[in-house]
Amino acid sequence: MAKVAREVVERAGVNVDQLVELLVKNAAAELTTFYYYTILRVNLIGLEGEGVKEIAETARIEDRNHFEALVPRIYELGGELPANMKEFHDISACPPAPLPKNPNNVKDILKVLVEAERCAVRGYSQICSMTAGKDHRTYDLALAILNEEIEHESWFSEFLGEGPSGHFLRRGETSPFVGKFMK
Amino acid sequence: MKEFSGKGLSKYSGKDGMPAYIAYRGVVYNVTNSFLWKNGKHQVLHEAGRDLTAELDDAPHGPDLLERVPTIGALKD
Repeated sequence: MAKVAREVVERAGVNVDQLVELLVKNAAAELTTFYYYTILRVNLIGLEGEGVKEIAETARIEDRNHFEALVPRIYELGGELPANMKEFHDISACPPAPLPKNPNNVKDILKVLVEAERCAVRGYSQICSMTAGKDHRTYDLALAILNEEIEHESWFSEFLGEGPSGHFLRRGETSPFVGKFMK
Repeated sequence: MKEFSGKGLSKYSGKDGMPAYIAYRGVVYNVTNSFLWKNGKHQVLHEAGRDLTAELDDAPHGPDLLERVPTIGALKD
């Protein structure tokens, strides 16, 4: 634990135990999403599915990166991950993102993907609101993750015909915002 | 439609085997089976058995998400 780092956050008025619990729940959401997205990506096949596969893969890898980036902050603040993987899954901040009943329906898969991203956007928005001006390091991390989650949402939303995402897919490395926390 | 007082609603905290109910703008919702309301708690900060009208106004989502859970009654003043 980073004792002084935790103290300054507490002194700034943040309930650190609540914050840590939220970080753990969101870390669980990232890792479980990585798992579920693996299955979704595998099933994105055919003329329609192959066109979505690349962004599903990018989102999958970046969600794993979010997990990797969150873990150090959890331990710095005196938290820890559950010892039991099932418990970790069940405390996730977002519901499971299972393969739809008809895995050949790409639109149904996209709905699962966009719903997962929207849950993540809400979660990191909440953490940003809790930490803004009080816990600079967690805020910086949550904001970086939020930037990527918003992009993921907009990609899947675009494929669902909800409007243009406004930007291009990744070129080269993944996690342009969160990468600095992983070096 | 069943009517709940504030005290009556507080029994439905989602703890000790009780169902989890929440109220928003006079409507009581049953969130017992929601993944996001396990043990009567939502995103660490919010607890079942209460009127969450003020809290939901500050949440990172709108009341539209409540359409995904069943209504169970009305909250009396």
